[in-house]
Amino acid sequence: MSGEPLLEVRGLSKSFGRHAVLTGVELKVGPGELVGVTGENGSGKSTLLKILAGRLRPDAGTWVLRGRLGYCPQEPLVFGRLTVAENFACFAAAYGLADWRPAEDDLLGRFRFAPYARTLVHELSAGTRQKLNLALALLHGPDVLLLDEPYSGFDWETYLHFWECAESLRAAGRGLLVVSHFVYERVRFDRLCALRDGKLWEA
Amino acid sequence: MTARALLRSRVALLLLFVVPTLFVALIALITSHRRIVVELPSAGVGALLEMSQRQQGLVFVGLAVVGILTAFLALDLLQRDAEATRRLVLCGYRPREIIAARLTVLVAIVMVIASYVAVLVQIVFRPAHPAAMWLGFLLGGWVYGCYGVLVGALVRRELEGILLVVLLANIDVGWVQNPVYYADAQVKSVIRSLPAHFPSQVSMLAAFTDHPVGAAALRAFAYGAVLLAVALVVFHRRMQPGRR
Repeated sequence: MSGEPLLEVRGLSKSFGRHAVLTGVELKVGPGELVGVTGENGSGKSTLLKILAGRLRPDAGTWVLRGRLGYCPQEPLVFGRLTVAENFACFAAAYGLADWRPAEDDLLGRFRFAPYARTLVHELSAGTRQKLNLALALLHGPDVLLLDEPYSGFDWETYLHFWECAESLRAAGRGLLVVSHFVYERVRFDRLCALRDGKLWEA
Repeated sequence: MTARALLRSRVALLLLFVVPTLFVALIALITSHRRIVVELPSAGVGALLEMSQRQQGLVFVGLAVVGILTAFLALDLLQRDAEATRRLVLCGYRPREIIAARLTVLVAIVMVIASYVAVLVQIVFRPAHPAAMWLGFLLGGWVYGCYGVLVGALVRRELEGILLVVLLANIDVGWVQNPVYYADAQVKSVIRSLPAHFPSQVSMLAAFTDHPVGAAALRAFAYGAVLLAVALVVFHRRMQPGRR
């Protein structure tokens, strides 16, 4: 890792009732670094990302984020009664982007779902919905990406395109934190951590 | 985008017109022209009015259908894609922009439903003051629309939301606000404190008397405004980062 970390997490804890999910998580993601977090179902991977993305409040801990954040949730959080293009327009407005069309076209092409640009989202297959879910997180060219099971439901070719995209983002100096309970190719990650007993361990 | 998404729910839009037509047609079919005596508190304490059962039933059901439909639509506007909306806020959208867009759509819905129901009712009979009766329907939609927004802001799950809307709307606008029940009610203050009371008074007074409706209309508007204010606070808090 070179330079100041883009994401720095210190002592993050979260419990649901008496069930402690995260107990003092420490983590750093630097520029051009791709960090993977793996763990069993219910180990707290998504909870960690939800906290970092602002969807959940932690019980304790702090984190510093340097730059713009892109967050791809595990479940596609998109508008079902809008088309793919309209979803892009909504999120572009949220990001404050004046001209998002080139980025939209690039993402539609990169993840191979351009033919569905005018299709209503609730008519899409689960895999295509996931492509949109991921593309919306990338639309504004974020500096730090939090990706929760980003390739679930992808076919093999799209899975490979995802990694091409991740590689180009890493080469551009972005920081990526990828959470997945399946890690097929460890070699793709700069670091791989396992979330166990509420703590992150270098795998 | 909110309006566009709603316009794509074709079956729901169709029901907005089919349901009132069925309600009004049913009342026109099953009621008689028998004269009944009812009490309208806004016309003065103990003031009794005589009217046709059918005409009274039409105004009552008109208000009920406007209130119930707008409450459900408002609930749907707030609950549908709620987590996607929250993601939008986390990405930079301001909650007040989202609520403003949804309220604009809601007001348009209330106008359309209230106007359609007012036209339907007037096919069957001519109220004393049609515009003021329409205002009563409009206020019924306003109050119950705001109630639907509040329920949508308060509860996350659809079933709880539907139950809360059905329970209150059914007992209030669908039952106890019928002036037929008011005269013999044991605790009238309870009826007067429910959301549909003032809109009901406005529509009944306008349909059957020359009594001014301004005071009741203002109270109905204020009632809805209070519900909306609470809903906005709840919605704004729920949309903040780090909350669920």
